[in-house]
Amino acid sequence: MMDTLFTNARLIDPSQNIDGIGYLGIKDGVIALMGLGKPSASNEAHKADEIIDCKGACLAPGIVDMRVQTADPGNEHLEDLATLLRAAAAAGITGLACLPNTQPVIDDASMIDSLTLRASRFGGPRLYVYGAATKNLSGSEMAEIGLMSEAGAVGFCNGVSTIDNSLVMRRALSYCGMLDKVLIQHCEDSDLAAGGEMNEGETSTRLGLLGIPAAAEAIIIDRDLHLVRLTGARYHVAHITTRAGIDAVRRAKREGLPVTADTAPPYFLLNEIAVSTYDTAFKLSPPLRSEDDRHAVIEGLADGTIDAIASDHVPVDGDAKAQPFGPSQPGASGIDTLFALTMALVQQEHISLVRAFELLSLAPASILDIQGGTLVAGSPADLIICRPDVGWMIRGGDFVSSSRFTPFEGTPAQGMIDATYVNGVKIFERSAK
Amino acid sequence: MIDKSSKTVASTDTSAAVALSSRHLLGIEGMSPLEIRALLDRGNHFADAIQNQDNDFAVSDVLKGKTIINLFYENSTRTRVSFELAAKRLGASVLNIAVAGSSVKKGETLLDTATTLNAMHPDILVIRHNCSGAAQLLSQHVDAAVINAGDGRHEHPTQALLDALTIRRRMGHIEGLKITICGDIANSRVARSNIQLLASLGAEVRLVCPATLLPAAIDQLGIDVFTNMEEGIYGADIVMMLRLQTERMAGTETPSQREYFNLFGLDQAKLMRAAPEALIMHPGPMNRGVEIDSATADDADKSLIRTQVEMGVAARMACLEAIASGIDKSRHAKAGKSGGAS
Repeated sequence: MMDTLFTNARLIDPSQNIDGIGYLGIKDGVIALMGLGKPSASNEAHKADEIIDCKGACLAPGIVDMRVQTADPGNEHLEDLATLLRAAAAAGITGLACLPNTQPVIDDASMIDSLTLRASRFGGPRLYVYGAATKNLSGSEMAEIGLMSEAGAVGFCNGVSTIDNSLVMRRALSYCGMLDKVLIQHCEDSDLAAGGEMNEGETSTRLGLLGIPAAAEAIIIDRDLHLVRLTGARYHVAHITTRAGIDAVRRAKREGLPVTADTAPPYFLLNEIAVSTYDTAFKLSPPLRSEDDRHAVIEGLADGTIDAIASDHVPVDGDAKAQPFGPSQPGASGIDTLFALTMALVQQEHISLVRAFELLSLAPASILDIQGGTLVAGSPADLIICRPDVGWMIRGGDFVSSSRFTPFEGTPAQGMIDATYVNGVKIFERSAK
Repeated sequence: MIDKSSKTVASTDTSAAVALSSRHLLGIEGMSPLEIRALLDRGNHFADAIQNQDNDFAVSDVLKGKTIINLFYENSTRTRVSFELAAKRLGASVLNIAVAGSSVKKGETLLDTATTLNAMHPDILVIRHNCSGAAQLLSQHVDAAVINAGDGRHEHPTQALLDALTIRRRMGHIEGLKITICGDIANSRVARSNIQLLASLGAEVRLVCPATLLPAAIDQLGIDVFTNMEEGIYGADIVMMLRLQTERMAGTETPSQREYFNLFGLDQAKLMRAAPEALIMHPGPMNRGVEIDSATADDADKSLIRTQVEMGVAARMACLEAIASGIDKSRHAKAGKSGGAS
């Protein structure tokens, strides 16, 4: 006897490479059974208190968003934790990992305790926290990686800045390796990118904006890969954007290095030309790159070089964006649009729906060694019901997130989340209109 | 000053304000050669009138009742005075906002300032700002027409127009001229506007620049780029020197000013490589001994630098008049649409 039985669902399970109509039962918050076809009417185990007819909608593992910035603590006016979690639930996200660049910086075990405890009170998506790899994100001195690891940090990174110092990077990698935690790097040579406002190229020249060369990303990746060879530690490239960087990761994977990478929707859907009107909604970090780089990102997503897609969500308000392009704050809201924008890759036939959920769910969960990405019996019932083909218009003003700046304002998108479950509990259901 | 332009330049009706397709003047990019030529023709008329002290024309009231605010976020004497004089010659009321002592220093953003100024209903805002795109941003948030008096490293359209007017009055034409622009291209809005304008009017534009001050993919703008000054200046009819933008440089683009002058500074020896009658231009203010030596800058036969300043007023009169006439037309159109109700 199940608590809930989903029938007539298009089951998507990247962990078993399943895409087919079937059924799934939940008991005590755990996936208790799943199968293709129809549940057996005679089988007592296939009966349930609640039967949900999915009517052909997809039933898939919840999204695991591995790159989210939270403004809470420190800048709650931009977006508080409750709003962030509510937005995540509505976006089909059952687990999200937050960067440590809060105020104060998450470079201390107690901060991790505090944030995860507060999140648990909302009963929403699972909130995970990255510890700062260096004290106060200074890049010069290792933070207490061991204590934060014990407190539950799922990985370490330096927020939105790069660990420039090779010695510090080597030590952080060694230390993370010792604790079997992944070290995540925002790859941008900060000297080479100093003052940079957008991708370097013909567009930056025409607009008179200072350029950030693509090489700024590849230089850090190349250096870090040498350090990975020295230390053997797990290394993850955050929001990869350039062909050179992707090529480097591809070579490293062939070599067998423990390297993974993620990217975000703007980098496979937009290019630098979007900046031509100085619209600050297109000011991102890393910057929107060339059309060739965009193609390289898609190739990387299709061939497995890039493991995951993250929202790269940044809470940013009007004051920070209503400025000339140069001094405006980089970043965009990403949570509300993550699923639909990823579906664009499926609609354009670059990837399959199963691969999309590998990128959105299975891979990030496995990189961070957390729950997610599977419908296998015995797993916690973190699920979404979604319809990848249902269209809507992206309007920042309609977002659940209080961060409303999106480079996709006014763009039509396809991909609707109907319901989100964590541990078998429904944390979101789209109200019927 | 010999003015050949009236003989050689086929011009349209120059007795009335130029009609521009845009309400604002934000950059040379996007302007048609026709619009540019019309503004130059009109500027030429104003220049004649100023030189002949023909006050019926050089001082008029076409901007009577119009309020113009000069909003300068960067220090400037020549451009601000030039705009002010141009506006006053046309009868406008001019307000200069000295940003250094204003609320901007107290943290007010550009858009806050825009909103405040907008509430005072000026007709034209002339803005100079250290950020590329600032003029465009302002234009999206005010009702006034906006004229870009220089935005960051992006454009300085009235400078390019006055440069072209200067060249045309001296040489009679722009098409076919070999024009070499030398110096700090990366940080120069003057260069960007001039490249667009001169190429659009059919000049052969070349750049000479240290590799470290060369913006990415500049060759894709369809111009020849040189890092050797002797080569780039060879046979040039016009040598346009740029200011080394020390205030916009991180300080490591060139090893020293001494070395810069040696390799890229204009002196009599390098000028020998240009065409025999070559003329020298500089948007000012000059760094003497850095990008140009004094003897060359002050060479009365070859230097157009003072003429450039003079043409600044005439070119800006043409721009202000064109923008004001656009404002009047759109107001008439609106009044017409609303059935003439007052």
